Amino acid sequence: MSDKYTQRRLQSSSITTVISISLVLFMLGLLGMVVLSAKKISDHVKENIRISVYLNADSKETDVHALQQSIDASNYVRSTTYTSAKEAADHFQKELGEDFVNSIGYNPLPSSIDIFLKASYANNDSINWIKKELLSHKPLVESVEYTESHVNMINDNLGKISLVFLAFIGLLLFIAIALINNTIRLAIYSKRFLIRTMQLVGATQGFIRKPFLLSGMIQGIYGALISLVMLLGIFYLLQRNYPEDVKSLLDINLLGIMSGALVFLGILIGFICTWFAVRKYLRIRTSELYF
Amino acid sequence: MTLDRSITLDKVSIFQEHNLVLSNLSFHINKGELVYLLGKTGSGKSSLLKTLYADLPLSSGEATISGYNLASIKRREIPYLRRKLGIVFQDFQLLTDRTVKDNLKFVLKATGWKNKAEMEQRIEDVLTKVGLVTKTHKMPHELSGGEQQRIAIARALLNDPEVILADEPTGNLDPETSEGIISILLDISKNGRAVLIATHDIMMYQKFRSRILKCENGSLLDSNLMEEMKLS
Repeated sequence: MSDKYTQRRLQSSSITTVISISLVLFMLGLLGMVVLSAKKISDHVKENIRISVYLNADSKETDVHALQQSIDASNYVRSTTYTSAKEAADHFQKELGEDFVNSIGYNPLPSSIDIFLKASYANNDSINWIKKELLSHKPLVESVEYTESHVNMINDNLGKISLVFLAFIGLLLFIAIALINNTIRLAIYSKRFLIRTMQLVGATQGFIRKPFLLSGMIQGIYGALISLVMLLGIFYLLQRNYPEDVKSLLDINLLGIMSGALVFLGILIGFICTWFAVRKYLRIRTSELYF
Repeated sequence: MTLDRSITLDKVSIFQEHNLVLSNLSFHINKGELVYLLGKTGSGKSSLLKTLYADLPLSSGEATISGYNLASIKRREIPYLRRKLGIVFQDFQLLTDRTVKDNLKFVLKATGWKNKAEMEQRIEDVLTKVGLVTKTHKMPHELSGGEQQRIAIARALLNDPEVILADEPTGNLDPETSEGIISILLDISKNGRAVLIATHDIMMYQKFRSRILKCENGSLLDSNLMEEMKLS
């Protein structure tokens, strides 16, 4: 049975704690959204990695068409584009601004199929394996090319950025818990004589803890709700200014998961910090209460 | 007779942190007995009481109070020991943010009472015993020092304890009010409870004579074992 007086007094002295929790959860939420969206950003970048399959100049159109169909059917392919030798020449000519076919007397560019991979296959191991498979179509396939360093660079950087973000989240969480712990401890410090009186009349530790823990968890919920309002405000502003980008990177499920995680984290932080702060005063001796 | 004993100490030494305050204490207090624990400030009276209500650990000797062995008591058993004791302090330690009734109700709730009607009845019973049944809705600051101490005694009686431990219960009160408080404690002892009153107020003893335990030079003198005790 909780005590309404203890709870009322705890709630009134909890504004600082709620503000601390909400700010920390807001930062965590923002970072969390970036990390969760990073997967989408990374997939977006990876799915634009291109493998170019250059075809033999003597190949028949029907063979090329059959090859493209078989590539399309592979599970690693997101999409393919066929560029004929003439289209390649026209494109190059446009870039060059010079009729190079006429100058050299023939079209040196081969026809090609550009393959765009699914994100999960956009790594060097898979690409090497895909390359081998494509080369098995020789002599129809002349060569297969992709920029290896480019793939490595993208994978490495995304890995590093995610690690930095995760480390930052970890550090933030540590600072948050230390800060909130301190705030809750100060609030409970002012109730140490009440705790003492409860102990002396024979209240069990569970009975004494209960109103404090309830109050800690309620503060966590308030903090989480305030942080959610702030986060939604940020998303609203972003969506108003960059509707397409926000739409492609965020979805409603992600926001739902994020909201649930923040409320859970708020309750957890409130509970854990209060538990340890109250434990300190449950174990203290009367003579130590005055310091 | 061992069955009548509420408090038994055997070769107990009392420590405050690591300092030896009282050594080699052996005594017992029977049900229905009122005992004064006398001694100068700093002589170890409060430390002895704190050891009895398990606020200070017992590190040397054997002690039993209300059936609990203080040498082997576990942390989780301490609340249940304290429910068998009534503790009264010099500074009352009432909760200042609630009425007399809510102070008492709080203790009942904290000690596992659930039935509202039984709680109301119990509060009325203890307030009648200390003569303050009309003050249920008063806040502690609206009461005199003597009345607050009587509420503290009523609070100590709520769970029908076997033992009352009172630490300087008249320390903040004038002589006339103090007499009233000791008189209530004497009545409580006559109803079969052991009452141990730590005090340096010898005047009270002279008014209400009873057994004395005196803390002096790190040891305890028992008036039951001495023909004449020097009180000053």
